Amino acid sequence: MTSRRAVPILLDNLIWLLLLLALIVFSTLTGRFLTVFNITNILVHSAVLGIMVIGQSFTLVTGNFDLSAESNLGLIAVLGAFLMTASGEPFNGSGIVLSPVLTLLIMFAVGLVIGALNGQLITRLKMNNFIVTLSMLIIIRGLAFLVTHGKTVTGIPEGFKALGNGSLGPVPISVIVLLAAFALAFFVTRSTRFGRDLYAVGGNIDAATVSGIDAHKRIRQVYLISGAMAAFAAWIELGRLGVGATRIGENMIFEIQAAAVIGGISLFGGRGTMLGALGGVLLLSSINSGLNLMQVSGFAIDMVRGIVILAAMLIDAQKTRYASVSAQRAIGKRGRA
Amino acid sequence: MRPRSSTPFVLRHLIWFLVGAIVIFFTLTTRNFLTVGNFVNILFNASVLGVLVIGQSCTLITGNFDLSIESTLGLSGLLGIWFITASGPPLYGSGWMLSPALSILLIHLIGLGIGLINGLLITKMKVNNFVVTLAMLITIRGLTLLVNNGQTAYGVSQAYNWIGLGKLGPIPVPVIAFLLLFAIAYVVTTYTPFGRELFAIGANRNAAYASGVKPETRIIQVYMIAGLLAAFAGWMLSARLTNAMSSMGQGSVFEVFAAAVIGGISLKGGQGSLVGALGGVILLTTIGSGLNLMNVSVYWIQAIRGLIILVAMLIEAQKVRYMGATTGTGGTKGR
Amino acid sequence: MIGRGLEGLQAASIERGPLHAMDQTPKPGSLIVEMRNVTKDFPGVRALSGVDFQLRSGGELRGLVGKNGAGKSTLMNVLTGVFPPESGEIRIQGRSFARLTTTISRQLGIACVHQHSQLVPSLSIAENVFCGSLPVTRLGLVDWGSVYSQTAQRLGSMGLDIEVRRKVEGLSVAERQIIEIAKALFAEARIIILDEATAPLPKNEVEMLFGFVRRQRDQGAAFVYISHYLEEIFELCETVTVMKDGRNIGDYVVSDLTQAELIRLISGAEVERFRHETRSRAGDVLLEVRGLDRPGYYEGLSLTLQRAEIVGLTGLEGCGKDSLARALFGMEPRGTGQVTLEGRPYHAGSPREALNRGVAYLPRDRHGHGIIGLRSVRENVTLPILSRLANILGFVSRRREQALVRDLIQKLNIVTPSMMQAVQFLSGGNQQKVVFAKLASVEPKVLFLDEPTQGVDVQAKTEILKIIDQLSREQGVAVVVISEEIRELLDICDRILVMFKGRIIREFPAHDPQTTVESILHAVEGTAAE
Repeated sequence: MTSRRAVPILLDNLIWLLLLLALIVFSTLTGRFLTVFNITNILVHSAVLGIMVIGQSFTLVTGNFDLSAESNLGLIAVLGAFLMTASGEPFNGSGIVLSPVLTLLIMFAVGLVIGALNGQLITRLKMNNFIVTLSMLIIIRGLAFLVTHGKTVTGIPEGFKALGNGSLGPVPISVIVLLAAFALAFFVTRSTRFGRDLYAVGGNIDAATVSGIDAHKRIRQVYLISGAMAAFAAWIELGRLGVGATRIGENMIFEIQAAAVIGGISLFGGRGTMLGALGGVLLLSSINSGLNLMQVSGFAIDMVRGIVILAAMLIDAQKTRYASVSAQRAIGKRGRA
Repeated sequence: MRPRSSTPFVLRHLIWFLVGAIVIFFTLTTRNFLTVGNFVNILFNASVLGVLVIGQSCTLITGNFDLSIESTLGLSGLLGIWFITASGPPLYGSGWMLSPALSILLIHLIGLGIGLINGLLITKMKVNNFVVTLAMLITIRGLTLLVNNGQTAYGVSQAYNWIGLGKLGPIPVPVIAFLLLFAIAYVVTTYTPFGRELFAIGANRNAAYASGVKPETRIIQVYMIAGLLAAFAGWMLSARLTNAMSSMGQGSVFEVFAAAVIGGISLKGGQGSLVGALGGVILLTTIGSGLNLMNVSVYWIQAIRGLIILVAMLIEAQKVRYMGATTGTGGTKGR
Repeated sequence: MIGRGLEGLQAASIERGPLHAMDQTPKPGSLIVEMRNVTKDFPGVRALSGVDFQLRSGGELRGLVGKNGAGKSTLMNVLTGVFPPESGEIRIQGRSFARLTTTISRQLGIACVHQHSQLVPSLSIAENVFCGSLPVTRLGLVDWGSVYSQTAQRLGSMGLDIEVRRKVEGLSVAERQIIEIAKALFAEARIIILDEATAPLPKNEVEMLFGFVRRQRDQGAAFVYISHYLEEIFELCETVTVMKDGRNIGDYVVSDLTQAELIRLISGAEVERFRHETRSRAGDVLLEVRGLDRPGYYEGLSLTLQRAEIVGLTGLEGCGKDSLARALFGMEPRGTGQVTLEGRPYHAGSPREALNRGVAYLPRDRHGHGIIGLRSVRENVTLPILSRLANILGFVSRRREQALVRDLIQKLNIVTPSMMQAVQFLSGGNQQKVVFAKLASVEPKVLFLDEPTQGVDVQAKTEILKIIDQLSREQGVAVVVISEEIRELLDICDRILVMFKGRIIREFPAHDPQTTVESILHAVEGTAAE
């Protein structure tokens, strides 16, 4: 009897078990893993991915993809850099040299516009979310190239970069931001009507609608959030990287999805928590860091990441199997005869 | 042959009308568009994408995604050259000095193997196809980086490079290869039991099973085909470029989807035709080529391609709505 | 409004006319639902034909019965706003509507609980109950304490003692349905429709559900209970509405009826019937089943099928009749026991293996397992025999395929603009014929048909019965017809087997004086004949 209740609990918190496992494994294999310095490092490297994962998790919970996220990050980053810097070599900026504050506002505005566009196409024009955001992925990356003509924009004001590479005492600002953002996201999805509506929409959109939830409005809202998160991440990335490289974010979408999924956010919607997603991000970053410290070739790391995702997914698949089997047992096939 | 419904001819063969419209547009706005040379060039540029689209279309027809093909392409392209060249600078091969023929054989076997793994994980282990192929995409790319430590390998074997650079008469070999493969794929999917079963599985897997089809076997087979074709595409690309960067093919999976979907292959499965998919490939490549000839900045081209996809998908969504409206909710509800 | 339309009834056999508590002209305001002259059409079929339906306010337990296709669900769909009627008037609590929408219907207090859940499986019971209207604290945050305590309290007041933090996906089907009803009641629903809600439930859970429903009725809620299980109608309902062929043929007080009378009302007399000529069968035994046993599904099943005979198989939902067919077709595990086909041992681990041995199955769920709606008639029909139609090159021979399909379309009288038409656009009857054609193309030796005339219009029904007869007569196919339509079984079967709780309990040969609708129905219900 107890094992039947223990197993689902174990499976639900799988990500933390995996994280714990990774921490144990790596701290035994290398000496320098479990140090404050290294942990801080892990968190810093998680910042941009983490913010993007928050945005993606919001859409995934409602059962929708936002494949355009990586391109949004790229466009907003280079656009921001472009607006703030002088023209000509070596800056390659626009020459407009807007104030960082104004630029930031514009960056967020762009993020919201893209999110709004995605949302409208998907809910009002009833287009498939995969296709729409896929197309946007391509278009927006193209726009990024258009802005910079392929060149890297440099000369970003130091103040602007503070979020990405500044510190408050011993703690990097980006880490504070990362944790605060996840805390806020967790809070919203746990304790607000808005957040709970999202789970209903993703879990059973008909049930949600019948209960009076405006599902389409919620979907449009999560796309706005995703767009805003991309802007936020762009701000951090510009600080971290220091320059506006046209290819910022390229191929990141896979890692974003992987971190979310590995953290328990179901691709079908309605399941998973922000906390779990954070766990997914931390796990991937930890593996990165640990393997690095073990001086494993940088290239093997990607491979290991992929295998970890596969393994986690295999376990997850068993979890779904398990859930449906126990539900069947509860139903009892005998019927009424 | 696509089952008939009440949609007008234009909507059903939308993609070719779009291609026609684009061709007309570019003929009017640029010089030298409507030449044989240019068409051959377009096909040449389309060939690698085209081969990938064949594989993806087959899996999509069964209602499954294969995100890993871009990484399989990368791996096989690298290994293809790596197997046959000397180690160290300037070629950075493995030093094993295998014969080109053996190397080519091996990379295709590897492509098949990757497809087999995908298929097994999805059917036997019941893991979601998006997630499996996503994880494989990451893993195999990692493997590719690992093989040569991220170093580009350079290939100078004539025999190997023939598939990318050779010509049969005036026509480049890749063009022949890609058109030939499309033709084969078209014939197989339209006229053979195998192909027909793929459509059945994608359209209604349960009904297909109840009709004697073995969906699991077929799904494993299409993933193996996708893997095989991705390996072939890798060969073609690395041969044409005469080198293989470890990032080769990265990011291309989206264009593959775009071309397939824009050509009428439904993401839900069970619908679409290889001819349409070919149209999608040609459309995207033609736009790129035409814009090039118009001296449009390279950076506009990317954005415009994405826009065309979006517009085409918008039209597609309206078509689905329209069909739904004219035929009603379909079926009797006896109770 | 009262017991109209005694047409089609064998009036002589019912001495008492229908008695009904609503004999008096209804006083204005005392009816919570009043549907008048409602008509609803679907392509090819008239689902509702001038139907009147009423519910009293103050609480009522109304049964709604009728055969498959009688219009029960459609009527309720009109009431809940899923479909607009072609004509008629709907009055809810005195307000009049030509048509309802799902939103309006909900606001008016009408809720429907079906077999497919309207709950979010990944969320807790409490959260589902409060879905869309979670209580908040002064700060605007979700007040979880209140969510859980209020849910527990309300469910408790309904007599439910269940841990409200549990996720819905872990609940049994009965528990889920109770939660759905509770949720509807919380949302101020006053009219709750239970559509075949108990079909998958074990007996003890049905008791639990009924107790719950009765308590709510006492609080003033009205329930419409749609079911095939006449036992349950008699147990739970106070009144019952009988529907047949899209008409309301009467509202009755349950305690005034006997089961036999109700049965007769439901089945009535067919306008046109196809009678199959039974020939004496010296036919060889084709399929022999011995001691088939699968715990939870059936036990100790033994039967034989001879060439060219048509055997009916009937019983309640869950008695095992469809499981047997699917097991023999390889779609479900078979359990232990022996089966021989044409003298040789027979094992089918998949439909493919079954088809290879000449055993075919027509699924009950046409849309899920029968037709491939997106594909053409031609492709559907030839799917199982593609390799047979292939030429040396491995291509499917166009010529042979078209000839075969054309032939079958003609033989089965499938109405379609062409063989290239996507099957989803055909009417239900023709879709069913397409599935038949598919099975016929396999040239089976044994054919299991699961509810072959379900959801099919009257004309097509007759044609399908003729097809079944033809298959058996001309090709010597042994046909097993699984159906709850006793009259149809009587029309075409050489003998009828009745299953109850996983066993075959009686066999009714054709032309036997004992073989009547009533006696079969009693066997089906496990009760003795009156």
